[in-house]
Amino acid sequence: MRDGHILEVRDVTKRFGGVRAVHRCSFALAPGKIYGLIGPNGSGKTTLFNCITGLTQRDEGEIHFKEERIDGLRPYQVAHRGIGRTFQIIRVFPELTALENLLVVTREAFDSARRKAMDLLRFVTLDRLQNEYAGNLSYGQQKLLEFVRVLMTDPELILLDEPAAGVNRTLLNELLAAITRLRDQGKTILIVEHDMKVVMALCEQVFVLDHGEKIAEGPPAAIQADERVIEAYFGR
Amino acid sequence: MNVAITPTMIGQVIISGLLAGALYSMVALGLALIYGVMRVINIAHGTLLMLGAYTTFWWFRLLGINPYLSLLVALPLMFLLGMLLQRTLVTRVVDAPELSSLLLTFGISIALVNVAQLAFTSDVRSVEFLTGAFLVGPFALSKSRLVSFAFAVVITVLAFWFLQKTKLGKAIRATSQSSEVAMVCGINVQRIHLYAFGIASALAAAGGSLVAVIVAIQPEMGTVYTFKSFLVIVLGGAGNYPGALLGGMLLGLVEQLSSLFLTTQVSEAVAYVLLVLVLLLRPTGLLGGRAR
Amino acid sequence: MRWAILAALPIGLLLLALYPMVATGYGIQFMLQLFMWVALAQSWNLISGLTGYVSFGHVAFFGTGAYGAAILVSKHAWHWVPASLMGGVAAVVLALIIGYPCLRLKGPYFAIAMLGLNEVMRVLVSYFEGLTGGGSGLSLPTLHASRQVYYGMGLAALAITGVAHILITSRVGLRFMTIREDEIAAEAMGINTARYKLFAFLLSAFVPGVVGGLYARDQGYIEPISVFPLLTTVTMIVMALFGGKGTIWGPVLGAVTLFIFQELVWARFLYLHQVLFGAIIVVVVLLMPKGILGILQERYRLPRWV
Repeated sequence: MRDGHILEVRDVTKRFGGVRAVHRCSFALAPGKIYGLIGPNGSGKTTLFNCITGLTQRDEGEIHFKEERIDGLRPYQVAHRGIGRTFQIIRVFPELTALENLLVVTREAFDSARRKAMDLLRFVTLDRLQNEYAGNLSYGQQKLLEFVRVLMTDPELILLDEPAAGVNRTLLNELLAAITRLRDQGKTILIVEHDMKVVMALCEQVFVLDHGEKIAEGPPAAIQADERVIEAYFGR
Repeated sequence: MNVAITPTMIGQVIISGLLAGALYSMVALGLALIYGVMRVINIAHGTLLMLGAYTTFWWFRLLGINPYLSLLVALPLMFLLGMLLQRTLVTRVVDAPELSSLLLTFGISIALVNVAQLAFTSDVRSVEFLTGAFLVGPFALSKSRLVSFAFAVVITVLAFWFLQKTKLGKAIRATSQSSEVAMVCGINVQRIHLYAFGIASALAAAGGSLVAVIVAIQPEMGTVYTFKSFLVIVLGGAGNYPGALLGGMLLGLVEQLSSLFLTTQVSEAVAYVLLVLVLLLRPTGLLGGRAR
Repeated sequence: MRWAILAALPIGLLLLALYPMVATGYGIQFMLQLFMWVALAQSWNLISGLTGYVSFGHVAFFGTGAYGAAILVSKHAWHWVPASLMGGVAAVVLALIIGYPCLRLKGPYFAIAMLGLNEVMRVLVSYFEGLTGGGSGLSLPTLHASRQVYYGMGLAALAITGVAHILITSRVGLRFMTIREDEIAAEAMGINTARYKLFAFLLSAFVPGVVGGLYARDQGYIEPISVFPLLTTVTMIVMALFGGKGTIWGPVLGAVTLFIFQELVWARFLYLHQVLFGAIIVVVVLLMPKGILGILQERYRLPRWV
């Protein structure tokens, strides 16, 4: 890995018409850590995720994953290389059952895939709902389903878009524990999050975006005290 | 067929194209309204045009007075029919997946075409009113096409004035942009849908009335106009009302020009081929409407 | 329960296979057409029921196959069986050519493009008169082959339903469905949606092409308006919807039910037929868009092999 980084985003810019959603954004992720990506609404966080995963094509800049340049690849190719993501608005497959949601994303042999899927469902206590249509699950259950669906393909880098949104305290603690466990297994995680408590508790390093630009970077405590960050959130 | 093509022929063709184009624009504006406001693909649009044509035919047949005056009857009549269709049926497929609106409007279409067949028979009708042409310099302007053009322009201008200047028109445009925001602004979106479909039906019927004096009238006449309206919308960009104007003119021109260079059979195909080509190459339209 | 159905199937098939020996000419024609509609509805189901891409011009494949086969039989003295298969191939080639660009279009645009494609094919066929007889149509050499066509259609219907079964009970079919459910999420999860869409599209084009060829043989004469009508597309769609799109037996159920109903009504109310059909379309679209099996599957959590 280049300088030991698993993901490198270099000077990425994305425009939508006249709007600069992301502007010359650069950062690098070392493997096996949990990173946070924060910023006021509209600061370009999800757009950045979309650029990394190929859902959106960046206008300028480069994105490298494990020494390979991945900008310009189609989303499914990015996924095959080991990057998984969840979405801000839950995107499970509503008319597929919970189990089918997990089975469909992997090409592993059916039996081992099924075992893995059931393990994951058990992990989030959704196993008794395996044959329930995903669309009939509650918000929290869908959230969990989407979370484990990402894990089916064993990605090395996991992008989580607002994993805490709309989730009650107990569930949240389970999720946070799960994320920590993933990190301990050697995975790299980048979380977009608005809930500062989650960011403080979980993340080792935080990037701050405002109006598409990275304005600060550092450990959570330092970010909290950073003037530019405070200004971005509270006063202009 | 190696006939030399003179500038006069080209000029003639351009004029014919513009004359026809205005009609296409007007009818297509109706289709654009329905899609823009309700996200409904109205396959029955040509059928509404056909009903307008029959209204004019029977007006002329039974009353014997100027068929163009039948617009006074056709427009309000079809406006009401449009609202009725919207209220009873179309409203249920607003914002629905495209399959629903395609099937529903198709169902409406064949029902209406068959009612027309039963009521009016499939005999081909015509309205013999204005024949002959004005001669302006080297160009021959068919009288009926010219008058139809004039009416089409007036009606289209009125429609645009309505959309731009009146409160209801602005509400319609707002709803086309975003029905959620429109609702939040206090616009009664249900009523907007009602009026939009009514107006669109009236526009289609107007097209039918005007075309009744020019072409043969029969229950299936609407289909080709539906396709042409689709093409106009695709050319101008979905949801782009001024785009419909441009698209209509463009279609008229292309059709006439192609009749110069291609046999009649093939120029018939031009509209369809163009539709598929434009969709494949630039689905957002030449003017770049929203890619919805 | 499952074993009862599994036993009934071969028995039913056996009965259908033996039927021509005791059937009247009308009976064979009736069943032959029934099979044809089953094949068409199921084919449409593969692309539109599963991936959600609404093919609103699907009869284009039927017409292409009809003309492909008819030309081979009448101009090149092919036997109608391989000719029909070539009709299927012609349809797949067409699907390949337009599939790649068309499948990049979003919902309504794809539907309209398919609608336009159908008209383009119709006009193209009319234009190349030398090859196709143009507007005056194309005649095949006289041959009474109703019985054989019966088996042909039956096999086509069986084959495509079999394919539907294999797909829908496997992960391949599930992947088709993810395209319908949420194409963006599917792509993000590593599913090559472009490839799967195209695959579904090609699969859905073959049988209509073959069936078109068989139809041409059975009718002995085809013309552009008879093999490219929008009404045929809509009919196969409504059949698939009525029975339940996205399921295996839904299109079969829909085709059988609506075809029988159509025959009963057509025979009696010739003039009202189309108006009634319009009414059926409206009812299905507004009141039961999921179809019978679709509703049952949801309500009673039926397994996918239904």
